[in-house]
Amino acid sequence: MSKVKKKRLGFVLDMTPLVDITFLLLTFFMFTAKFRSEAESQQKFVIKRPRTQVDTSKLPEKDLVMIKIGIDTVRLDTAYYISMINEKDVAEFARQMMALNFPNATDRTALFKITDSLWLGKAIEHTRGINPRAVYAIDADRRLPYRWVETAINEMRKRRATSFRFVTDKKQ
Amino acid sequence: MAGGGEALGGSKTPRRGKTGKRKAKKRVGFRLDMTPLVDITFLLLTFFMLTTSMITPQTMEMSVPPEMDVQIEVRESELLTIRVRSDGKVFVNMGLDAPSLVTMKELRKIVIDQNIALKNRCIVTLKASGNASYGLVVEILDELNAAEPYIIEGLKRDGINERKRKFTVAPYTPDDDKEVVAL
Repeated sequence: MSKVKKKRLGFVLDMTPLVDITFLLLTFFMFTAKFRSEAESQQKFVIKRPRTQVDTSKLPEKDLVMIKIGIDTVRLDTAYYISMINEKDVAEFARQMMALNFPNATDRTALFKITDSLWLGKAIEHTRGINPRAVYAIDADRRLPYRWVETAINEMRKRRATSFRFVTDKKQ
Repeated sequence: MAGGGEALGGSKTPRRGKTGKRKAKKRVGFRLDMTPLVDITFLLLTFFMLTTSMITPQTMEMSVPPEMDVQIEVRESELLTIRVRSDGKVFVNMGLDAPSLVTMKELRKIVIDQNIALKNRCIVTLKASGNASYGLVVEILDELNAAEPYIIEGLKRDGINERKRKFTVAPYTPDDDKEVVAL
């Protein structure tokens, strides 16, 4: 007797657990994602931060004035880049820098490239005026000569900004 | 005749349309095609996974004394000077002693020992040459921070529960360079 061959009609796979996990991961990544600020999107260089082992404190998310010292990847020159983090501070800082006739300053500029200590001092003074609760952070490239950082510290010191932070990466 | 049709037919209520002829189907649930939803979810998940960076920068807190015209006198014997030469060599000396070349590990040990021996009175001064790399200066600061728990522990053993940290950065003068140039 020959058996009657059943025709296969495909199979059903329960996708529910997979979809559950996917949604869970999606929600996690969506909530932890941080979008780049205006100042970060105007940055054209990469900073290789010094590595440390002890620090655990995180960078504050508000009232921050970031002084970056970086090497431009295109022009290979070193400069200070100063920016503020609070949205209304960014606009006010741009307005004040324009009033000071800072070269190439527009009301859309969030990251100001400064090459001399005179302008750096002026910019620090204005950030203090805009936000009296401002917290300063120096984010400099580890390969840079220390004098660049020393100048920034001295300019801050002159304006009574004696507490600040160095931005570092964790030693692996 | 079967089911509801008969039952409903029994009650002589008038019905819309072709009354009595249609069978009432039993609902067994419904099927919704989830494929487009899952597609989009995977797409978004991939996007967020690739754009999120999990490594957040950390910070090292620093406090420097404000600029003052008034000179503060300190005892030379309580002053621990760390000098960083332009070639990256680190020298340490206590008071008026001659500076000696040290490694990072030795530096940490000296800082711990002196701070415990002087019972909180030790003032650490960092003088780094402008040509030394910033990375090295941060490395030294990191060593000083790493020494803190050991100092606190040592002071507690001596009966001192409060740690008063005295630290400052000072400019690296040509005189400082003269001190370490021949070493």
